[in-house]
Amino acid sequence: MTIIVGYLDTPEGRAALETGIAEAALRDLPLVVVNSPRRGAPVDDDMLAPEQVSAIVDRATDHGVRVEVRQPLHGDSLAETLESVAREVDASLVVIGLRHRSPVGKLILGSTAQRILLDASVPVLAVKADR
Amino acid sequence: MDFTPIIDGFGIVLQPTNLLYCLVGVLIGMLIGVLPGLGPAATIAILLPITYGIEPVSAIIMLAGIFYGAQYGGTITSVLLRLPGEASSVVTVFDGFAMAKQGRAGAALGIAAIGSFIGGTVSIIGLSVLAPVVAGYALDFGPPEYAALGLLGVLLVSTVGNGGKLKAIIAASIGLLIATVGRDTFTGAERFTFANLNLADGIDFVPIAMGLFGLGEILYNLEENHKKVHAPAKVTKVWPSRKDLSDSKGAIARGSGIGFGLGVLPGGGAVLSSLVAYAVEKRRAKQPERFGRGAIEGVAAPETANNAAATSSFIPLLTLGIPANATMALMFGALLIQGVQPGPQLVDSHPDIFWGVINSMYIGNILLLIMSIPMVGIFVRILRVRPAILAPITALITMLGVYTVNNSVFDIYLVIVFGVVGYLMKKFGFDPGPMVLAFVLGTLIESSARQSLLIFGGDPTGFVSRPISGTILAAILAVVLFPLVRKVIRARRGEPADVRTPEEAAVSQAPAETPDRETTDAK
Amino acid sequence: MSTTSEPARQQAAEVDILEELKAELAHDLEEERPPHAGPLAQVAAGLVTLALGVAGMVLALGYGLGSLTEPGPGLWPFAVAVAVTALSIAQIVFGREAQDTEQFTRSSALTGLGVLSLIGLAALLPVIGFEVPSLVLMVIWLRFLGGESWRLTAVISVVTVAAFYALFVLALSIPLPRLI
Repeated sequence: MTIIVGYLDTPEGRAALETGIAEAALRDLPLVVVNSPRRGAPVDDDMLAPEQVSAIVDRATDHGVRVEVRQPLHGDSLAETLESVAREVDASLVVIGLRHRSPVGKLILGSTAQRILLDASVPVLAVKADR
Repeated sequence: MDFTPIIDGFGIVLQPTNLLYCLVGVLIGMLIGVLPGLGPAATIAILLPITYGIEPVSAIIMLAGIFYGAQYGGTITSVLLRLPGEASSVVTVFDGFAMAKQGRAGAALGIAAIGSFIGGTVSIIGLSVLAPVVAGYALDFGPPEYAALGLLGVLLVSTVGNGGKLKAIIAASIGLLIATVGRDTFTGAERFTFANLNLADGIDFVPIAMGLFGLGEILYNLEENHKKVHAPAKVTKVWPSRKDLSDSKGAIARGSGIGFGLGVLPGGGAVLSSLVAYAVEKRRAKQPERFGRGAIEGVAAPETANNAAATSSFIPLLTLGIPANATMALMFGALLIQGVQPGPQLVDSHPDIFWGVINSMYIGNILLLIMSIPMVGIFVRILRVRPAILAPITALITMLGVYTVNNSVFDIYLVIVFGVVGYLMKKFGFDPGPMVLAFVLGTLIESSARQSLLIFGGDPTGFVSRPISGTILAAILAVVLFPLVRKVIRARRGEPADVRTPEEAAVSQAPAETPDRETTDAK
Repeated sequence: MSTTSEPARQQAAEVDILEELKAELAHDLEEERPPHAGPLAQVAAGLVTLALGVAGMVLALGYGLGSLTEPGPGLWPFAVAVAVTALSIAQIVFGREAQDTEQFTRSSALTGLGVLSLIGLAALLPVIGFEVPSLVLMVIWLRFLGGESWRLTAVISVVTVAAFYALFVLALSIPLPRLI
């Protein structure tokens, strides 16, 4: 049993991480942070640098939570990759950050969060960024 | 020395159109240098159709800019991402990325730019001085010399290139064979045309080049490979400190010399120069353990050398009409398309091209220095584009481009055929470079050889008795036998190379186990 | 360490650094590509080139070798074909151990599909112009070979073909078979 956080270095992602850490501490479960950039290009803005990864690990251990950071690449669907990691680590909860998108934005760019919410096999906790 | 043609050359370069072509060339060069995937040879091949519509001088200025510009671009990703954009920037990864990890990426990039500029400029000066001399000397060359020289060039490129040497020579021989397709100029007989009208005049250079290099590379990159994704790199101030500059002085000086020297050798070129320059610096250093851990000389030396080599590799082409590597073979072809016959007479018959191109390199190097320092961040942005998006665009450019040359769909099919051939060659370990080079030189070698036989009255020993061609043939023999001799000597000594000194152990940052020397030698 | 003289040892060590560098670079670059194909691939490669060489020799003989004083059209191709044949035999016999080939993987099928799409483009170009086949090619390469989303595929395909149209037809007036 683990808790998964889908992480990007954005306010929403950081909010999701904080919530994930809190939940993990509460339930006394290990945390798996999934940072998944898109496969293909040599550089992806979503990819975390090693220092950022250690910062996450430090943050979690400060709260007494065991943490593992994974960085699998995704192809067509981030939701699918997240789902497969969830199955692999036997996740009991998925925490993601939610960003407000205008209807036009959703139409053109799509909503990964929606895919995750609809396709996930375990409860999903959607968190907004702190104002 | 008569300076008028040199000054005239500057006059040509400073015309706005040529300045523009120079800028476009170095810009494109730098961009593809940053992008892993397409190399300068592939890009030049794909852009060959453009050269049909523009002046020969402008065309070569632009293509040359792509070539030496790519040497600059390749450094950027080596330093920032441990990802070499070009083969000649692979060595820069060792110390360049180490410096980046220490927060000195800006210094590494800065010294690379400065070293490249100095190396390029030194090389151009050497080129300006040496080229007319060699060209003058080569005017004494007759058909036997050309036959021998062409053969030597093909052999050298095959033996020093990547992939197995045996396969490279096979590829080159097949290239020579393909060059014979069409009507024989001496007797008028048709060879290997299989009654196809399109083949009667021989196979055009452009579809072969575009297919083997351009489409072949595109098809090869289509295959999924498990490339790592890197986090974006932060670039701060791109400029080395005073101390960095003074520490690198020697490395830059030596790198320029090494690059200039090795670039002239057929098959040598930028990759070999960067390797040798690095090795020399490490050997000379009082504290060799610094190398691989952020030694500034480890960046300055190879980067200076690869730019110097890229420039000096023009010498054999411009003075003797013999291309030193695959990219020069493309330039050779580009000149032929324009109706310009490269050879020792080029400096006299087309001084505008000769000096125009050489002088454009001064300008190009200045442009690169200016652009590479502040614009690193912009160039790195391009790395976020997924190759899957660029692939169809470059494929379309290739397909439609070749059509525009002759309005011929047959040419498109030729490109596809040679593209598949190029792809298969890469899969099976053959280097397409020697094949294109041999194809380009094939007609020259054959006609020279036949003319020589006529001169000698059918006696082939004439090749050996003439002093120059005899020397060249001796060199050919040396090149062929050298690797075999080396293998025998190594086997006799019983593998001394497996003993590693502490410095060599320190260099191995990559999780590579002891390199398998037998495999390396077998290549 | 062996008891050879100093300069020789220095040179040997220098060459060794070079060889070690080359080997390390080769290793790093190799990690991303498919694994090596076995000796069968090496032999197959040699057989293909052998076939080319033999065919060349046979055809060249047919064109007439002539003599050294009066070379026929077939002399030079014959000499070259002999070289190809001999080297191919060497490759088959000696070249089995080399590691420079790559296996065909499932994604090699992608390359095959790419080639087919290019042939399709060439076939359709003179018939219906360049716009539609180019559009179809872009869609195939982006969506099916590149795994991009339909949205992105549509946008990039249309923009690219439009750009080509603007460049070739409007700006440069280059004759291309076209619909519009």
